[in-house]
Amino acid sequence: MAIDRQKALIFGAAVAVRLLLFTTFPSLPNLLAGRVEVSTPVTSFKRLQEGLFLYKHNVSPYDGGVYYQAPLLLPLFSLLPDPSYFPFASNVLYTAVDSLGAYALMQIADSMQAVTPRLFKSSRKDLRWSSVAVAAGYLFNPFTVATCVARSTSALSTLFILVAIAKASQGAGITFVFALSIASYLSMHPILLFPPLLLLCYDVRASKAKSAPSASRFAVSHTAGLAAACGLLLYLSYLLTGSWEFLQSTYGVRLLLPDLTPNVGLWWYFFIEMFDSFREFFLGVFWLHVASYAPGLTLRLRKQPLFAAATLTGIFAIFTPYPSIADAALYLSLLPLFRHLFPLMRYSFLAAAAILYASFLGPAFYHLWIYAGSGNANFFYAITLVWSLGLSVIVGDSLYAALRDEFDVERPELRGKEVKRI
Amino acid sequence: MLLLLLLSVFNAVIASVAPRSDYHERLLLRPLPQSALLASFNFRSNETSTAFEQQNFRHFPRSLGQILQHAHTKELHLRFSWGRWDADSWGQMPWNGAREGGTGVELWAWVEAGNEEEAFARWLTLTNALSGLFCASLNFVDATNTVRPVMSFRPEGDHTNASRLHLLHGSLPHEVVCTENLTPFLKLLPCKGKAGISSLLSGHKLFDASWQTMSIDVRPVCEKGGECSVEIEQGVDMALDIERSKRPQDNPIPRPLPISEIACDTSKRYNSHDSCFPLATTADPAWSLQDIFGRPLKGACPLTDTSPDLGYSVCINVPQERNITVHPEGQYSESRSTSPELRCYKPPRNTDFDLHLPSQALPTPLTHPTPPLFASRSINGHGQERGSIRAVIRNPSPTSSIEFSYLESLPWFMKPYLHTLRARIVGSPEDPVKEMYYRPAVDRKRGTHLELHMLLPPSSTLILTYDFDKAILRYTEYPPDANRGFDAPPAVIRVLASSETMGREQDRKGIYVRTTSLLLPLPTPDFSMPYNVIILTSTVMALAFGNIFNLLVRRFVGFDEVAGRGGLVGILRAKIQRLK
Repeated sequence: MAIDRQKALIFGAAVAVRLLLFTTFPSLPNLLAGRVEVSTPVTSFKRLQEGLFLYKHNVSPYDGGVYYQAPLLLPLFSLLPDPSYFPFASNVLYTAVDSLGAYALMQIADSMQAVTPRLFKSSRKDLRWSSVAVAAGYLFNPFTVATCVARSTSALSTLFILVAIAKASQGAGITFVFALSIASYLSMHPILLFPPLLLLCYDVRASKAKSAPSASRFAVSHTAGLAAACGLLLYLSYLLTGSWEFLQSTYGVRLLLPDLTPNVGLWWYFFIEMFDSFREFFLGVFWLHVASYAPGLTLRLRKQPLFAAATLTGIFAIFTPYPSIADAALYLSLLPLFRHLFPLMRYSFLAAAAILYASFLGPAFYHLWIYAGSGNANFFYAITLVWSLGLSVIVGDSLYAALRDEFDVERPELRGKEVKRI
Repeated sequence: MLLLLLLSVFNAVIASVAPRSDYHERLLLRPLPQSALLASFNFRSNETSTAFEQQNFRHFPRSLGQILQHAHTKELHLRFSWGRWDADSWGQMPWNGAREGGTGVELWAWVEAGNEEEAFARWLTLTNALSGLFCASLNFVDATNTVRPVMSFRPEGDHTNASRLHLLHGSLPHEVVCTENLTPFLKLLPCKGKAGISSLLSGHKLFDASWQTMSIDVRPVCEKGGECSVEIEQGVDMALDIERSKRPQDNPIPRPLPISEIACDTSKRYNSHDSCFPLATTADPAWSLQDIFGRPLKGACPLTDTSPDLGYSVCINVPQERNITVHPEGQYSESRSTSPELRCYKPPRNTDFDLHLPSQALPTPLTHPTPPLFASRSINGHGQERGSIRAVIRNPSPTSSIEFSYLESLPWFMKPYLHTLRARIVGSPEDPVKEMYYRPAVDRKRGTHLELHMLLPPSSTLILTYDFDKAILRYTEYPPDANRGFDAPPAVIRVLASSETMGREQDRKGIYVRTTSLLLPLPTPDFSMPYNVIILTSTVMALAFGNIFNLLVRRFVGFDEVAGRGGLVGILRAKIQRLK
């Protein structure tokens, strides 16, 4: 079948590109793992190796301030041979992770929830890209390839977010809850995806079943399931490490920001220059800001919960404490699901130009600051501002497009005409 | 006169009835190659434990004794160091490195306490009190630069209750040592820098030396009869450059000598009255105590024991052929009992004492013992993001292999990656690391503690490397000269055993080698920008949030559906209309 051949071609090419990069440039993984745009203190592969080393030598990795990642990654990676000497196994693992993520993305595209959710039938629903094209957009995105080659653990949380969305768009409640709990266990912020994905799952179940299931029972059961799954993972981690001190490292680091290593986000420079007496206040304000998008988007975009979830991943790419290009890659890979909104977007050129500008100048200015010594921190900080602005233009513009699409169904006579917001 | 007589009678009475407490001082001078001079001052006094506990201090300084009692410290070692000992030219360090400390201030003590928290609280009491006593910022020794070494230090004294003792070690590599630390040091001495060898110490010459260390060691000593005493040993070791020290204080700028005073190499073809190639001086330069130290030795300290065979407080280690003239003539006594190359003098009281050594070419130079290990450490890599430490340790001995412990106490903003630690012996495949003790750092709470027990075969070099990341700090955590960088304390290497000393009784003091401290440049933010950064970041967040908020909260209407009654009135009217 043509589709299957296309699928095999895309996946084969993606796997080939990754393995080729791993083997032809043996120093490329370490080079990319050292770049701040790709790996952050909470996702760095070098720190994972350090945690593994301490774990294998019976020193608690959480006793110190180097390893900030989830405990259950340690037994998983200790099954592989030592990456410093035999890196092939970890390379294959990350390539497999990327491929599984692309497969999940194809499942999301195939479920048609992007264009025709239960409560909303877009007037442009025929304008869509095939699932293979969407998967290709994810697999060949340079940000995704860079994250895979750098072996950053954000690839794992991206995988589980995609699986959670895929299962929610298929109505598989238990798998969805389990995948989302693993994703939130690895990096804390995916828990905020639960409301829109719960709505998505409910919508799919209701459209598949004869009678809509009871909303409150559905919500309560799935929330309880999520809590139980998260609790199980935390309890397993407690058994593995022997104490609860991993909570301080894994989640306390994201909440309290002790490590101020530069990254593409907005938090690090702000909290470097902040005086100590205001730190806690602004940490609270920033987290409240991130968390406030979830209920707002879910309520307003009740009819398009998948779009709400995708927009939330974009919000995470801008406003979480340790973002990297992997988060941006996730959002930019979920956007092609909404091809029908692209004609309504107004600032696509500006946003694309800003993203390209930031992608090329960011490493240059970082080099000027840290290595050449002829620039200072403000250069790189300005690039992070441009990057954040570019991504937020895309988020805002796509949100406008989605709301305009809803309005076009509501008031078809105003299609194509100028509108105002009051 | 009568008062003096009464005082001396009183002293004699006290000396006969008081429990035994004695005071010894010694200055050892040793010329080093390349016209350097090593001067080791050593002051030692004892106090019986009973007198110490009853606070009957005689020669033991009361201020220090009370601090030690208050902080429950049983053994104390405090070092103030500056400069670098050139082991390749000068050989083994004085006292085998046991009285030397790392650059800046280094302090280690055995504190008696019930548990770790109590020991740490008493340690903080100790450091704060010592900081006041010595005018040094020892109060900055806190949890971030304190470690509890496991194999690098052994108690020098005899302790009765060893299970309640906790060893704590702190260092301040950035601390500058100067006259304000020397003055309280001298005040602890019985003669207080006014008589005896301590009268030679002056801040101008001491801190102008190529290398100097001031050390204070307090330890309990128990004899084999049960009588225990507390001993304090103070020392000043300095390696002076003779030409530099002879420069007068009021004319410190080195100027070229007039050509008539230089010995010229006449075999050069351009030799004439105005161009001269100086001959390499093979003769030892001329110097005297007054020239080098800038002040005369003001007679012997009266508290040194006055029995005939003690009190030889000035010793000089020179070859037998060296001529020495002693001033004042006749009022001193000289002894060469221990070795023909060691001459000791007993200076008279109340008279200035001086030694003059003329310039002399010696046929046989003095041999200097080679140190057991040569160690150096440096930071590799460029840029302010990461680096790696590289330590090179060499065993010069052709016959004996050496086991040593390597202690590194790194600040928390240097994050080492222990999985990148590679120790290899050049030319040999075996792994030199026998045991490793590692306590990782926690941001802003404690530093890294790394101790390695390694074995080095004869005539081999060991190269130890590991990577580390440099952290970026908060705005207020940078010092005023942020772009200079931060100091990392030196590595402390203690020779545990070598195959030639195997079986022999080891000196309690131990053999130590320390590397230099490291200067660590960290990335700095722009310090002029706190307000700008806050408003710019807040602007970006507000733009994004405002845009999304507007989109979510407002509803769409056709452009011409809203009656455009302009201005404020129109808006108010529209709102009232909507409410109806």
